[in-house]
Amino acid sequence: MRSPGLEPNARHPDRITSPAIRPRRSLFLKYFFTLFVAVVAPLILGSVGEAWFGYRDQRLNLNELLQAEARSAADRIQTFIDGIRDQIGWVVQFAWIEGEDEPHKIDAERLLQQVPAVVSITLVDQTGTERVFVSRLGLNRIGRGANMAQDQAVLGARANQVWYGPVLYRRNSEPYMVIAVAGSRAADGIAIADINLKLIWDVIAAIKIGNTGHAFVVDDSGRLIAHPDISQVLRGEPGSVAFNRLKSMLAAANGSAVITTGNAGKPMVAASVRAANVGWTVIAQQPVSEAFASIRAALWRALALILIGALLAALLAYWLAHRMSGPIRQLEEGAQRIGAGKFDHRITISSGDELEQLAIRFNEMAEELTISKEKSERINRLKRFLAPQVAELVEQSDERMLEGQRREVAAIFGDLRDFTAFSARAAPDVIMALLSEYYEAIGAVVTRHEATLTGFGGDGVMVLVNAPVVRTNPALSAIRVAIDMQAAVQSLVVGWRAKGHAIGFGIGIAMGPAIVGTVGYEGRIDYTAIGNVINLASRLCGSASDGEILVDEVVAEGVKDNIPIEPLGVRLLKGYDRPQQIFAVAGGDLRQSHSQEGEACPPVAAVADDKQGS
Amino acid sequence: MHVSILRIPSFGRVSLAWVWVQMKRRDFIALAGGAMWACAARAQRPTRVYRIFWVSTESQPDPFLEGFREGLRERGYTEGKDFVFDLHYATGDPGALQQVLSELKRGNVDLVVSSGPATRAMTAVTEVPVLFALSGDPVDLGVVKSLGQPGGNFTGSTFLSLELAGKRVELLKDVFPELRTLAVLSNTDHPGEQSEWRTTKQATQALGVDPIYIPYFDAGELDKALETASKVHADAILVFPDAVTMVHRTKLAEFAISQRLPSMFGWSEYCDAGGLLSYGANQRATYFSLATYADRILRGEKPADLPVERPTKIELTVNLKTAKVLGVERAISSLLFRANKVIE
Repeated sequence: MRSPGLEPNARHPDRITSPAIRPRRSLFLKYFFTLFVAVVAPLILGSVGEAWFGYRDQRLNLNELLQAEARSAADRIQTFIDGIRDQIGWVVQFAWIEGEDEPHKIDAERLLQQVPAVVSITLVDQTGTERVFVSRLGLNRIGRGANMAQDQAVLGARANQVWYGPVLYRRNSEPYMVIAVAGSRAADGIAIADINLKLIWDVIAAIKIGNTGHAFVVDDSGRLIAHPDISQVLRGEPGSVAFNRLKSMLAAANGSAVITTGNAGKPMVAASVRAANVGWTVIAQQPVSEAFASIRAALWRALALILIGALLAALLAYWLAHRMSGPIRQLEEGAQRIGAGKFDHRITISSGDELEQLAIRFNEMAEELTISKEKSERINRLKRFLAPQVAELVEQSDERMLEGQRREVAAIFGDLRDFTAFSARAAPDVIMALLSEYYEAIGAVVTRHEATLTGFGGDGVMVLVNAPVVRTNPALSAIRVAIDMQAAVQSLVVGWRAKGHAIGFGIGIAMGPAIVGTVGYEGRIDYTAIGNVINLASRLCGSASDGEILVDEVVAEGVKDNIPIEPLGVRLLKGYDRPQQIFAVAGGDLRQSHSQEGEACPPVAAVADDKQGS
Repeated sequence: MHVSILRIPSFGRVSLAWVWVQMKRRDFIALAGGAMWACAARAQRPTRVYRIFWVSTESQPDPFLEGFREGLRERGYTEGKDFVFDLHYATGDPGALQQVLSELKRGNVDLVVSSGPATRAMTAVTEVPVLFALSGDPVDLGVVKSLGQPGGNFTGSTFLSLELAGKRVELLKDVFPELRTLAVLSNTDHPGEQSEWRTTKQATQALGVDPIYIPYFDAGELDKALETASKVHADAILVFPDAVTMVHRTKLAEFAISQRLPSMFGWSEYCDAGGLLSYGANQRATYFSLATYADRILRGEKPADLPVERPTKIELTVNLKTAKVLGVERAISSLLFRANKVIE
């Protein structure tokens, strides 16, 4: 953060740098969010899409799979029934010969031994008369018995070689069915077998759909014939209702799979196939949880991928956003520091991209600012001895104006009379208050006239005219500055005298060539003038009595058309071998308290005149 | 079984979400590694020790109890850990089982398995599921409404003894066409005994055989009955299957051999003990399958919904050793192709 050295804008109290306000929506969050979404959104879309299409394919596959399972189950049921039919076929291979019933009976008994599902068998000859009846339970019959020519089984077998009777629940429990088979020749007669369908259980229980699925068989009238749970079958008609309903639903679904609720309340998916010869419907059923196990696994996989992807995206987005916003924050901080005036601050970014470029530009800017600051510091120093207008002029124009050069200048020297005696007597605060009033008055005049105040020295003051700012008539300007200075100080003198301080003010002006320029050292540079003219002005000032403005010959010559000047003859001035011609500004004595009260006007008029001329 | 009308639409409606919903905890566990799944599977085992009342008029060692035990073992039950038997035997005396009823009323019993005539003593039980193995008709006995829908707390197996009674006479006649007189040993205390005798009588009449009815009441009269049988000069002997004859099957078989009488019994256990022939359902297999019902009932299914089972396979057992002793091998050989079990 900011160094304590920078803290309060001690050096630039006027500059407002906002405290570190965190933005409401930071760049980091924006970048992070955008990058994260950019990675995660396609990932989610992809995964969801894949899951959906996977589900669709699985759904299609499941239909086909269950159909195939049902078909295979139907084939096995069919094979079972066909097997029984074929076995029955064995007992109708010999023609009936009168009195030869015994071999037929043995055939029938062997069939019973061979086919457990056959409970009893009736052999009928070509005339439709019962000849042999063999049963596992009832007593066997042999010889001519009842005429069964009109029996449905006999008629059916005669017409179609094989006849399948309806399924009936014996004692409302066990499903039975009659199969009648006719011999290839009418003389072989017909075998009518009573089949206990409970024995299909061995077949149906062996059919597994997937791991936990199963198949069951319902006949056309909706009776459950076979189920791996035999007790479902043994419940008879009432137990078949639900199975029959499922069968109708599947018939309505036209071959596609249907979702049902299984025994244990588990959802099951079912498909059906019809076993054509017996007219039964075989239904294959599988728990949904198992049927959709692979798609569920795929969904979990997709979810896991999304999570991993999101995590990676978050890390990547964090890294990138950080890489982005880090340098920007660094730049912001740099701008803040420089804003706080710490121009030597430099930013180091080596991201190799535009941000690094920006940092380089920023550093260049800071360097430019340093140079410009140095310049402005120099100008500030100038302002101490130049009127603001003058300083501005200097600021706007060439700095070379301040460089040392020979120039025709008018030097004005003023100083208080009897100040040394006063300062020896008076208290320091009184002296300082008096000096302060005095400087203020002088300063105001100098500023008004855009003259150059080179400095105060105790009670003395030195003002330059025509340097560094060039004037059209330096002499006249100088006289007017002097008149105003005298007027301003004299108005103070009245107050001072009233307090008992016998202080006066005298001015000397001289004009001539001098060397002007800045002299000094780091932190203290003054603008000054060196030359004879300066000495002369100082000497003239020394000779001037209170209220007087003494000028040299050059000045007098320069203003004689505008200001009344009276020659005072020649005087020998200290430091000069020859006596000098001295002039005084007429009415220049502006002392208000003790003499020439009525002559206070001319300087005022002169000032107004000067304004017009400059 | 309940069929819902919920259908998977071809593709249109969103079933994917539905499939997602189907992704139950189990999947998550499977994903997590399956360790917990193993625990869940173990949790499906019986959580407590079931108490099973075994009520019988047979005697020990009891082959039927062994069949039932084997069946339970097959279904994953361990005796002592998953279930305990409370054995109540009243050999040949169903009346003695009355005290079992009072014990049942005290509760704490999960299942009653009654074998044979013992079921008659159990008809008063209403709170506890009862599994029976009857030779007679449970509908006649009044313990079930119908075979398909028992509707009460009783279910089990019936052996079709009545239907087979005539068949046994016929088989004897088939083997011994010269059979004229047949001694019929019957326990009058056995439920349905009269019907069985009636059916047998009808068969003998149809086959031209004279039946000699030798009734006895309970085990106490058995010796007397055998003495009678030895005096009637029968050509063969038919013994009705029941608890008493089952208990004394060896004695009966030996009696028949000593009297040089071809014998016909109801169950193959009699042939194992030396009887010549038997025709009937496999008792042991029936008790074995009864264990499946026991399992289902212990898992919470109602006996009312479990149809009474009837044996699918009827066995003809021939003891060739006895045939040799009796010198009837030739006659018996005509029957061998029909036999399901031959003891050599």
